[in-house]
Amino acid sequence: MNLDNVLSPRGPQLIAPAGARMVYGSLAVAFLLGLLPWPAGWRWLVPDFTFVVMLYWNIHSPHRAGVGLACGLGLLTDMAYGTLLGLNGLLYVFAAFAALSVRRRLENFAPPGQALQLAPIFLGKELALLLLGLAVGQAAVDWWYLAAGPVAALLWLPTCLLLHRLAGRPAAAPAATAPQPQR
Amino acid sequence: MATHAQAPMFVRVLGLPWRVALCALLCLTLMAIDARTQLLDHLRAGFTTLLHPLQVQLKRPFLYLGEAFDFFQVHARLLQENRQLRAQREQLSAALLQHEALQAENARLRALLALAIPADYRRIAAELVQIERNPFAHKVVIDRGSLQGISPGWPVVDAQGLVGQVTRVYPLSSEVSLITAAEQEVPVQVVRNGLRLLLAGGAPDRLLEVRFLDKHADLQPGDLLVTSGLDGLYPPGLPVARVLSVEPPRHSPFARAVCAPLAEVDQGRHLFVLQRMPTSGGGRPAAGGV
Repeated sequence: MNLDNVLSPRGPQLIAPAGARMVYGSLAVAFLLGLLPWPAGWRWLVPDFTFVVMLYWNIHSPHRAGVGLACGLGLLTDMAYGTLLGLNGLLYVFAAFAALSVRRRLENFAPPGQALQLAPIFLGKELALLLLGLAVGQAAVDWWYLAAGPVAALLWLPTCLLLHRLAGRPAAAPAATAPQPQR
Repeated sequence: MATHAQAPMFVRVLGLPWRVALCALLCLTLMAIDARTQLLDHLRAGFTTLLHPLQVQLKRPFLYLGEAFDFFQVHARLLQENRQLRAQREQLSAALLQHEALQAENARLRALLALAIPADYRRIAAELVQIERNPFAHKVVIDRGSLQGISPGWPVVDAQGLVGQVTRVYPLSSEVSLITAAEQEVPVQVVRNGLRLLLAGGAPDRLLEVRFLDKHADLQPGDLLVTSGLDGLYPPGLPVARVLSVEPPRHSPFARAVCAPLAEVDQGRHLFVLQRMPTSGGGRPAAGGV
């Protein structure tokens, strides 16, 4: 018996919190991804990458990514896309709030389950964006842009896989009682 | 930033709802300001300016990709176009050749029309259809015959001068004996001094010769010979030949002159048969043969 190791936890592996560079770097990459010259005809399908990654860090690293960061990211998005300043900020803040409120529960789910539970947030964000845009004076909105919500929910799975791996986290939910096969 | 999201350790750290409310308030304020005034435009412009080089860089690989794609597309299109143009050029050059030939023919025809012929003669245009293969024959066949009113003995000219005379007539064609034929003799006159001579064919190289020339005759190389009209067959004044050389007598008492026919005896394709009109008929008839 290894006595040195007697105090080490026997349960699921402990996870080191993600570093600041990790969090902000991934957010920056996601932001740039949104700025890529997507073909104009397919723009309505392009999800809000920043939003997805932000929610990921809200859930998995809340001490780095809180409401303040969400607000800042939202304002940056507003400035980059030329929407009314504060529009996306408001949505990001409320979405982050929602995610932070349910993060304890969400952490117990595998990524597909998380995606399913986060889908209302994604869809709601797009819907709110369109409705608010309509409210603040856009003449007409293209409802096809709602499709970005479900696409973002689908994007949650690859985002989780990628960021789990980058952050050195096992692919399975850490708090799950039964050890799941490694991917 | 707070390190604990939900359980503040110190009173000074704001709880989550408070922070949300604060951020939301900030955003709402900004929205109101942005919607009502232009105060934030400078901020937005500055940020966009900062972002612009980044966007340009992001766009670059896609531009390169697009350009590469375009390159191959353009390459394929150019290849196809090149092939088409090549075929077209061949067609056009063939057409151009034909055009040049037509132009040359047109020029020859105009020259033919320009040849002055005596007033009481009428031209019947004819085209050369066949050249006798026999190099000694000096005969050609034209596409006008007795059905077009051709009769034996009529003179045949081209743009430059006398070619020969009709010697045999078929219904649809006629045989023309060239002046270079051995049995052909043309009574001519030197334009310079009016000296009358008899020009005979049969000399080598499709040349003509004056056979029995007085050794004191005033004939010089370069002299123009025209028909004298003394035989009643050829109209007077048609250019026939130019003297090439005058040879002094050697084995005979006579000198000899070699002349080159003016007519393109073995080149032209369009000829005129001259038909003598009855002088009492009054005026020229309608050009039936032309």
